[in-house]
Amino acid sequence: MSSAVNLERPGKINKPIIKIEKMSKTFVSKDRKGVFKGKMKKVEALKEVDLEIMEGEIFGLLGPNGAGKTTLIKCLTTLLLPTSGQAEINGYNLMKEDNMVRTSMGCMLMGERGMYWKLTGRENLDYFGALYHIPKPVRKKKIDELIDLLKLQDFMDRTVETYSSGQKMILAFAKALINEAPILVLDEPTVTMDVHAARELREIVKDLNAKGHTILYTTHIMQEAEELCDRIAIIDKGIIMAIGTPEELKMMVEHEDIVTVEGIISKDAVLALKSIHGVKDSIITSEKNGLSVISVTCENSREILPGIIETITRHGGRIELISPETVSLEDVFIKLTGRSLSTDTREVIKEEKSGQN
Amino acid sequence: MRYVIKMNRQGLSEINFRNKMDLVWTVAVARFKTLARYKGWLIMDVSIPIVFAALPVLLGMALGGANAASNFSTNLQELTGASTENFQIYMLIGANVFMIVSNSLWQVGFWIRRERMTGTLETIYLAPASRLLVLAGVSLYANLRSILVFFISFTIGCLIFGVQPFQGQFLLAILFLLAGLIPLWGVSFFFGSIVMKLKEANAIINVVQLGISFLMGVYFPIEIFPKVLQWVALSFPPTWMTNGVRSSILGLSYFLDQWYLDFAVLWLFALLFPIMGLFAFQRIENSIKKNEGVGHF
Repeated sequence: MSSAVNLERPGKINKPIIKIEKMSKTFVSKDRKGVFKGKMKKVEALKEVDLEIMEGEIFGLLGPNGAGKTTLIKCLTTLLLPTSGQAEINGYNLMKEDNMVRTSMGCMLMGERGMYWKLTGRENLDYFGALYHIPKPVRKKKIDELIDLLKLQDFMDRTVETYSSGQKMILAFAKALINEAPILVLDEPTVTMDVHAARELREIVKDLNAKGHTILYTTHIMQEAEELCDRIAIIDKGIIMAIGTPEELKMMVEHEDIVTVEGIISKDAVLALKSIHGVKDSIITSEKNGLSVISVTCENSREILPGIIETITRHGGRIELISPETVSLEDVFIKLTGRSLSTDTREVIKEEKSGQN
Repeated sequence: MRYVIKMNRQGLSEINFRNKMDLVWTVAVARFKTLARYKGWLIMDVSIPIVFAALPVLLGMALGGANAASNFSTNLQELTGASTENFQIYMLIGANVFMIVSNSLWQVGFWIRRERMTGTLETIYLAPASRLLVLAGVSLYANLRSILVFFISFTIGCLIFGVQPFQGQFLLAILFLLAGLIPLWGVSFFFGSIVMKLKEANAIINVVQLGISFLMGVYFPIEIFPKVLQWVALSFPPTWMTNGVRSSILGLSYFLDQWYLDFAVLWLFALLFPIMGLFAFQRIENSIKKNEGVGHF
């Protein structure tokens, strides 16, 4: 299959290849109580999402677990039917031309799952190539190309059950490339990879993008999103909170200083920090082995630093490290939602509901 | 400056008849490769019908002693109007046809459950291939495996019981066997849709195959049932399949007296059941996609 080179438009193309209009998705599930009792409940996973992804860009969906990233991806890849709204993908209507929508995409959605463990890597790729109706000789050639590109030679003729986690992930990535689709949908592709393999995969993603693939990339690793994505949408509780280039998003908090403090810090101290004049927010970003890392957003860190130290020590805390921080996408997320990316959205919703009751 | 290569809108996909048939074959071959890597499955498939047939054969010999064959023949004559003393082949055919039905249920119903749990079902749904073609590939595999097992198991069983395996109208028996496989696809698709909805495979398969084995007359002619139950049994294609194979090999009576009339009924089932099964499958598939999705297990 030949790909014609279009040299007319240098740089990114400003034509949407994915266009989503007012897409909502509501799940109905049952809360079980005891042996027989159960109560039906509705969960709104997506709320009237409007989104345009341009041809030739790497578009990131950034959000914590449970934010609605995977639901949005599953609706776009036809695995789920949206409750309302519509979308056009590669010029095809999502609901009416679902078969053509599927030919337009190569997907890596389930991490290392989704493979036949008793078949070899090569047999798996051949099988999945057939599912895309790729003629056998073309399939064979494409598999050889992928083996070279992703350096799979050492394990391709072994059954998948013998693979390491990283090898399964790279095979899943190869599977997404088998049909040479114009759109690649990668859902947390580096999640179980080691640092080296993840870096290599990101380089391949950049190369594929340079060759014309539009890439929809979901992650909760902000550095990855910053490194790869031309534009990013921050999603939480099924709502797109902000869209822009990483620089545009960071501009939203750039006029503020952020100080990271690490040590033994009580929750009372974190609350007390918020009452200091000039402090806009303070939040625990991680807690491990009794040590907390907090992020304090303020107007002028130099002026406020003594107050931060005094408040923490007054509340019985011990500071081990203080560092000023450059603005990251995590800070943008905190500004938009009031919490860290590592917090599971489902837990937050549960807490909010129990608070209301 | 970056230059963008304009990709083919459909990637490498070429949706045509040849590639569709290639998919059906690839799906079947992938499953045969898996079977080859679990050799125990084949041994199990071959031995189960022999053991299933041995139970009533040995019970009959224990109860009837030297008169077992003549008792069987007399009773069969009373019930159906035709008889044979070859009760070993009678049981072997029943057990082997039952094994075909059971395999169809397991290999479609349990296939859906297993693929759902391993995530491969979602991968299938991500591709443009029609699920019906994938189901056709799975059914092709199930049928080829069943026929292979039928011949091996039937022949070994006959050798063990000391009876001649290839007798009567054997070719006609094969035709009945093949014609009966097509409506079984429909039963399997219907069954697969139930498994998709209820997410439970083992319990359903066991209950359904127990019901079918009872109604299809694995060990006895269905004329032994009360009239109402006979009509229920006659609405199942496996009942016609078993009787057709038995009658052509052992010279017993057909339900409609002539082999071609029974054969026509099987073909009627072959037209109706796959359509009904596919309809049910697509309806349930759609309802699942409206809520939690096919990958949910």
